[in-house]
Amino acid sequence: MSQPEHPPRIEISDGASIPDPWDKRLINAWSISLVGAVSLLTYLCVRYPDVYGKILSLLPEGIIVTFKVTIYSFAATVPIGVLVGIGRLSRNRFINLIASTYVETIRGIPLLVQLFYIFFSLNQLLHVPDFLAAIIALSFCYGAYMGEVFRAGINAINKGQTEAARSLGFTRFQTMRYIILPQAWRTILPPIGNECIAMLKDTSLLSVVAITDVFRIAREYASVSYQYFETYTVIALVYLIITLILSKCVSVMEARLSHYDKR
Amino acid sequence: MTNANPIISIRNVHKFYGQVPALKNISMDINQGEKVVIIGPSGSGKSTLLRSINRLEKVDLGSIIVDGQDVLAPKANINAIRQELGMVFQSFNLFPHMTVLENIILAPTKLKNVPKAEAVEHAMQLLAKVDITDKAMVYPVQLSGGQQQRVAIARALAMNPKIMLFDEPTSALDPETTGEVLDVMVTLAKEGMTMVVVTHEMGFAREVADRIAFMDHGELLEEGTPSHFFNNPEHPRLQRFLEQIL
Ligand SMILES: Nc1ncnc2c1ncn2[C@@H]1O[C@H](COP(=O)(O)OP(=O)(O)O)[C@@H](O)[C@H]1O
Ligand SMILES: [Mg+2]
Repeated sequence: MSQPEHPPRIEISDGASIPDPWDKRLINAWSISLVGAVSLLTYLCVRYPDVYGKILSLLPEGIIVTFKVTIYSFAATVPIGVLVGIGRLSRNRFINLIASTYVETIRGIPLLVQLFYIFFSLNQLLHVPDFLAAIIALSFCYGAYMGEVFRAGINAINKGQTEAARSLGFTRFQTMRYIILPQAWRTILPPIGNECIAMLKDTSLLSVVAITDVFRIAREYASVSYQYFETYTVIALVYLIITLILSKCVSVMEARLSHYDKR
Repeated sequence: MTNANPIISIRNVHKFYGQVPALKNISMDINQGEKVVIIGPSGSGKSTLLRSINRLEKVDLGSIIVDGQDVLAPKANINAIRQELGMVFQSFNLFPHMTVLENIILAPTKLKNVPKAEAVEHAMQLLAKVDITDKAMVYPVQLSGGQQQRVAIARALAMNPKIMLFDEPTSALDPETTGEVLDVMVTLAKEGMTMVVVTHEMGFAREVADRIAFMDHGELLEEGTPSHFFNNPEHPRLQRFLEQIL
C-alpha cells in the first residue's frame, strides 16, 4: 500500500540503459537497436563474406577472453562494493574515512590512467602475471563505483526496516544480512548490471596493455589488413549486440526480483 | 504506584536532540502485567520515551532498568534485552521481501535457534490469534494496513517478549481497520501482557489502561487511572488536550 509500483531506479554509471521490465511494447529503443545491429552485421557478413565475414570469424576467441576478464573482475568487485558501501555508511569514523578516501581517490583519476598505473605497478614491481594484474586493476577501480551503488541502495531502504529488525534483537550485522541487503539487491540490481556492462566495455582499455581480448584481435587485424573502417564497424556492432543482450538480462532479473511488490 | 519490583523502571531520564530537550526528567515505573497508555500532543516526546526503553534512542541522562537489566550500561547485551521487548510501529515495518510466515519465524529461528517446524507451528498459532491464518503465504504488500499491523504484532509476539511496546499502532489506519488492531491488543491485554501503548485512541485507553500518562513538551505532567483522567484531570494542559481530542 505504501510502496511505489515500480522500485526506484538508481542511475549512476554509463554502462548501458537497462530496458524497463514493465515495458511490454514490441518496438522500443532496445528492440530497434538490437534488430538494427544484428541485421546490419548479418547483411555485411553475407554480402561481403571475404571482408566482414572474415573479420567476424576471428573474434570468438577474443570475445571469450573479454567475458572471462569481465566475469572474474565482476566477481571480485561485488564484495569490494559491499564492503565499501557499508564502510561509507559506517558510524566508525576510521572505517568511514578509509572507504571514503578510496572512493574519492579512484573517482578523481581517469580510468585509463588508473588501469595503467595499477597494472604496471603489479606487473613490473611485483611480477603479477598479465591476466591477473588486469583483473585486479579493473576490480580495484570498479570497486569504488560499486561501493557507491551499494551505498545508495542500502540508503534507499526505509529506516523503519532497520528499527524493526533491531527491536527484535538482531545485531547490526544480522540486520544488514537478513533484512537490508536482500532488499537492497532489488534496487541495486539495475545499476550493478550497469556497472558490469560498463566493465565489459572497459576491458577494451586493458587490451592496450594486457589482454588479448576481442578489441586487441580487431586492432591487430586492422593494422595488417588496413581494413580499419570495416574492422571497427564489426567490432562496434559486436560490442553493441553483447551490451544490448546483457542489458535485457539485467532487466529480466530485475522483474524477477521485484515479485514481492507486485499486487 | 510503585511496587517492590517494577519490570520497567525509568529514573530521571533526559534526552536532547542537539540543544532541544525531548525528554525532561522523566521517571516512571511499570509493573509486570500492567498496561500503561501514554497520551499527549504530537512532538511531546511520547515516541522518544517509548523508544528509549529498548534503546532505539539513547537517552543522555538517567537510568532505565528493564527486567533487572540496565539498558544504558555500556556492557548491556542490548540485543538480548530487546528480545524481551516486542515493539510495534506506526508504519508496521514488515519486511517486504518475505512472506507473512517468513516475517514471523525469522527472529525465532535466527536468534533463538528454534527449529523451523516449531517456529512455523508457533507462527500459525499467532496468526490465528491475530485472525489472519489465510494470509501466511502472501507478501506484506498484498495486505491491508490493518492486516499488516496484526502481522507485525504476531511477529513481535513470536519472540515471546515479556513486554510489548506500541507506538501509535493505529494512527496510519483508516477507522474501519483500526478496530481490528485494537481488538487484538485488547485480547493481548486480557492475557496479562505488560503493555506500554502510545495512542490517541481514548476508548482503548479507557477500557484497557491500568494507568494513563500525559506528556507535553518532553515532560510527564500527569499520571493516573482512567477514571481519574477522564473525570478529574488536574493539569490545565491535560484538560485542554482532552477537550480537543474527545
Ligand atoms: N531524530 C530526531 N532528531 C531531532 N529531533 C527529533 C528527532 N526525533 C524527535 N525529535 C524531536 O523531539 C521531540 C519529541 O518527538 P517525538 O518523541 O517523536 O514526539 P511524539 O511521539 O510525542 O510525537 C519533537 O520536538 C521532535 O521534533
Ligand atoms: Mg510519535
